[in-house]
Amino acid sequence: MNDQRKGDHAEPTTHFGYQNVPESQKAEKVAEVFHSVAAKYDLMNDVLSGGMHRLWKRFTIELSGVRSGNRVLDIAGGTGDLAAKFSQLVGPTGQVVLADINESMLKVGRDRLLDRGVAGNIEFVQADAEKLPFPDNHFDCVTIAFGLRNVTHKEDAIRSMLRVLKPGGRLLVLEFSKPTNTFMSKVYDAYSFAFMPLAGKLITNDSESYRYLAESIRMHPDQETLKAMMVEAGFDRVTYHNMTSGIVALHRGIKP
Amino acid sequence: MLLAGLLASVEHGLNRVLRLDSTALPRLRPLDGKVIAIDCRQPALQLFILPSDDGLMLAAHWANEADCTLRAPASSLMRLALSQDKSAVLHSPQVELEGDSAVLLDLVAVLQDLELDWEYEVSRWLGPIATQLLSGHLRSRASWTRQGLAALNQNLSEYLAEEARTLVGQREAEARFSELDTLKVDIERLEARIERLARSLDTSDNA
Repeated sequence: MNDQRKGDHAEPTTHFGYQNVPESQKAEKVAEVFHSVAAKYDLMNDVLSGGMHRLWKRFTIELSGVRSGNRVLDIAGGTGDLAAKFSQLVGPTGQVVLADINESMLKVGRDRLLDRGVAGNIEFVQADAEKLPFPDNHFDCVTIAFGLRNVTHKEDAIRSMLRVLKPGGRLLVLEFSKPTNTFMSKVYDAYSFAFMPLAGKLITNDSESYRYLAESIRMHPDQETLKAMMVEAGFDRVTYHNMTSGIVALHRGIKP
Repeated sequence: MLLAGLLASVEHGLNRVLRLDSTALPRLRPLDGKVIAIDCRQPALQLFILPSDDGLMLAAHWANEADCTLRAPASSLMRLALSQDKSAVLHSPQVELEGDSAVLLDLVAVLQDLELDWEYEVSRWLGPIATQLLSGHLRSRASWTRQGLAALNQNLSEYLAEEARTLVGQREAEARFSELDTLKVDIERLEARIERLARSLDTSDNA
């Protein structure tokens, strides 16, 4: 939906933050961002969200309805916060797949989970959300937390998630969205463009990645647009829950 | 979000407490995958508990059906949390159980049998010697306090009953109650006798 296809000869472009880049370069640029931040990703999440990301993920788990024996795919699973909890919920008879396109993030996530003793029912797969390497009708639940906005072709990714879900399976998309309150929106803008790059500079010595984070959030579809995209892809009973005045929204759809 | 934050803090604290008893978490393992819904009627509030061998997970929402639902007013839930005899609270008329009650009873049994090794936790922070000194001191203080309270209780009751005569002593009261019971039985016997006499008079008049 945010892709801009130009004439027949020019390569289609897409957003990378506020810039327009050729589609073929977006994945590479996003990868650079995450290679840069992977080592301190958890620390930065806590600092930038004031620990709120834990509550947002907690709510995602509550709405996932995952239970013992389920098969769960956590796309863009990063450092494995959701996957660790899902691993506990599905138990030894279930299976969790933590997928991430970024090798550095996947490595940090895998090491972190193994260090915490999360193993046995969890697999780590480097995969592109647009072309998921799994059979049709395979998972009971698919989640993507703070990952969809980095995907080049969001519609393709949503369709791919629909394909791998079993009928009746749930897709949960946790992503930054549009604040519902004007005052909060102004405060949030000031915070994103002033504090976030500064914190990035101080902690990871990389302000550009956090400028990209702030810009990519602004370019991401708002609540209603993402809901429409999910409905168009074929999801049923699509609903969303705003959290922290709409700074983050959790979309949920069921595969018919 | 506020409730989620509160539940996260309670969950964290609760799991720390459960870890103080080395048998609690292994005993929760058979309950892994079960969902217990607590439906508080007054005030209206719903809470889901998911036990596992990692501890308890608390959630304000749960998308799947619960294995067991407990419906009760807040007062009963509070009593359930604080009471030593939790099974008695579960069998009270205000409390309603739906689904597989064994899941809840097993969880209640684990919580009821908790024996917290607080000295181990303190020793992690203060070291074994300081913990030993502290626990010895606390134990002797606790024992002194218990004895003091028992002596105060006994002295106060003796003073009120024997010296100030403000209250009647227990044995004196028991003797009076016994006399009253005898009197009550005598009156009932007399009443029955009068009734029998009245009936026999009525019969002779009719004849």
